[in-house]
Amino acid sequence: MKIKKLLALSLASIMALGVLTGCGGNQDAQGGSSAEGGSGDVVEISFPTHWVGVSVTTEWFQDRLAAFNEQYGDQIKVNVEEIAGDQNYVDKMKVLYSSDSLPDVINTGGYNLIDSMKDQLVDLTPYVDDELRTHGTDLCWETNSRDGKIYGIPFTRQVIGYFYNKDLFAQAGIEKPAETWDEFFEQCDKLLAAGITPLSMGTADSGWVTSLWLGAMIASNDAGEEFMNTIQPKDYNTPEFIDAATKIQQMFQKYTTSDAVGGAYENAASNFYMEETAMIANGPWMISDFYDTSLVEEGFADKIGTAMFPGGVMYNSGKIGFNIASKDEEKLQATLTFVDFLTSEESQVKMLEMTGETPAMEGVSSDNVKPLVNEVINNGDNATRCINDFQSLWYANVVDEISVQYPLLAQGEITPEQFAQALTDAAAKN
Amino acid sequence: MHLKLKSSTWRVLRFIFLGFFVLISIGPLIWIVMSSFKSNREILSSAFALPTSFSFSGYTAALDIAPIFKFYGNSIFISVVSTVLNVVVVSMAAYVLARHKFRGNTFITLLLSVSLLIPTAALLMPIYRIMTAIGLFDTRLGLILVYAALGLPTSLFIFKSYFQSIPKELEEAAYIDGAGFFRTFFVIVFPLAKPGLATGAILQFLTSWNEFMFALILTKSTEVRTLPLALNYFTSQFSFNYTAMFAALTMVILPSIIIYILLQEQITSSMVEGSVKG
Repeated sequence: MKIKKLLALSLASIMALGVLTGCGGNQDAQGGSSAEGGSGDVVEISFPTHWVGVSVTTEWFQDRLAAFNEQYGDQIKVNVEEIAGDQNYVDKMKVLYSSDSLPDVINTGGYNLIDSMKDQLVDLTPYVDDELRTHGTDLCWETNSRDGKIYGIPFTRQVIGYFYNKDLFAQAGIEKPAETWDEFFEQCDKLLAAGITPLSMGTADSGWVTSLWLGAMIASNDAGEEFMNTIQPKDYNTPEFIDAATKIQQMFQKYTTSDAVGGAYENAASNFYMEETAMIANGPWMISDFYDTSLVEEGFADKIGTAMFPGGVMYNSGKIGFNIASKDEEKLQATLTFVDFLTSEESQVKMLEMTGETPAMEGVSSDNVKPLVNEVINNGDNATRCINDFQSLWYANVVDEISVQYPLLAQGEITPEQFAQALTDAAAKN
Repeated sequence: MHLKLKSSTWRVLRFIFLGFFVLISIGPLIWIVMSSFKSNREILSSAFALPTSFSFSGYTAALDIAPIFKFYGNSIFISVVSTVLNVVVVSMAAYVLARHKFRGNTFITLLLSVSLLIPTAALLMPIYRIMTAIGLFDTRLGLILVYAALGLPTSLFIFKSYFQSIPKELEEAAYIDGAGFFRTFFVIVFPLAKPGLATGAILQFLTSWNEFMFALILTKSTEVRTLPLALNYFTSQFSFNYTAMFAALTMVILPSIIIYILLQEQITSSMVEGSVKG
């Protein structure tokens, strides 16, 4: 009886609390940008970010936000929404887009939402003056433009090659990274013969590290290089693509770890950190982990070398920056001030120092960076063929489709031709 | 001698069988707790080894990285209230649909059940718009209502079939003794349907406790967000902190296990009590 009374009392209290707290809610949090009004002279803008938790950019963003608030806090209030996880961020933006309530500022961290959402993004062309234009190279602005209109303000560049373990290479009798793909596969065989797994690969989350190898192999001739610089290609049934997919299938079946099928970035990275694989394709933001002794052995960074992909190929391109979807002029001006601050030279230098990301601005450098970061940037500057990455170029649903098709390709359930056709079919749905 | 051998073989088999289930049930939990004391490097290099030293740095890092306690409180509150709401409201609807024959009964049952077939992805946008329009975006009440509604078809199925299994005579006796409709439902039928209601409530609680997508879409401030969102703070596209993630997972699962252990006797006795009375 006592228990019953207690239960009834607790339930009643919970219900009452529910009404009180639930209905109270957050009065300032009604939908997207359209519902947020300015209070007094302070203009409020909304910025959902995935730079939270363990993201490599969290510290940089906290630093920049504090600096912005100090300088502009009496005029502009940035309402930050924390969305942990890059993919979650993109998923939420898709729902907000379909409800016509995109926030004032968007940064996807490289995913291309411009093509699918540009009807709701602000055409920034009239607002990009000479000063703002210096925040990125022409190539960076080009990546953020469509049909001559600017839809994004760049602040980083995409420079990606691959990292290799010099100790493991020496054990296999390899002196330097391969210059041709034939030599590359010979080196893989040498590593295998020495009992070393050559490559870190994965299939989950669009198989980032795997797709970087794929793109680099596609770009081994002029036609392939052009393909890897084409925005939203529709046809993947090209000889270069099928040849690269054939090699990827071979790499899955022969040269990588057993956890590659179904594995995400962290599995691929872990294998490289544990010195179980000799090579991983990725950008310079990974370098800070090489010094983190909670992840790697002391002195690990000294064993690591950087390389261009065979044939002198490097990912060296612009990167999608900040997109703006403000609905009125007052918010737009406040948002531009915020984005101008985040993309300024000072912010880009800090980005380089704190995360290893390559600045979009020409000639920005710092003495306060790890030597490997500068090596990667130099490789980018000296590359024979410069290409863009698949996440920035290809349709979002094609990028999603890769994770579905890679395991099938790896297990030999589909042929490279069928793989190419599956991506072509996905692209045709747009 | 033969009998003795048979019984000891049976005992060994039983031990192996039960041991196997204990292992697959608590093995992963022990692994998570153990990993929360290891460094990232230890987790990566030897996943099944014992920690070399017991460090609580994962726990301090987890609390530093994500607002776990706040999300935890929200999760408990939202799950409990949505479960109570679901059980009370849906049981009333299920009772009427199970007991009373009227025009449109089948149609209403079908209409309420058919929502089970609509994929969550298709509901996201309409529900987001509705919640924004009625001012329940980014509130706990918004999530409570959505969760209570999400579990509606499942609860309806369970409650309706359970009410149908209760003998009608008990209600008729109540009516003869002068009880009205509401009194008959709340005093006679509701307690009798306890096992069915408990099943529905457990499923509803788990739905609310684990739900991720609506929690992400329908909220924007950390003040009202729930636990499943917190676990994403520990991995991103290019970085991860396994120690902190396992520490967070330990903090998430341990209280539920402790509460279950403490209340286990009462839960079991309430089930047994019903069957003896029946």
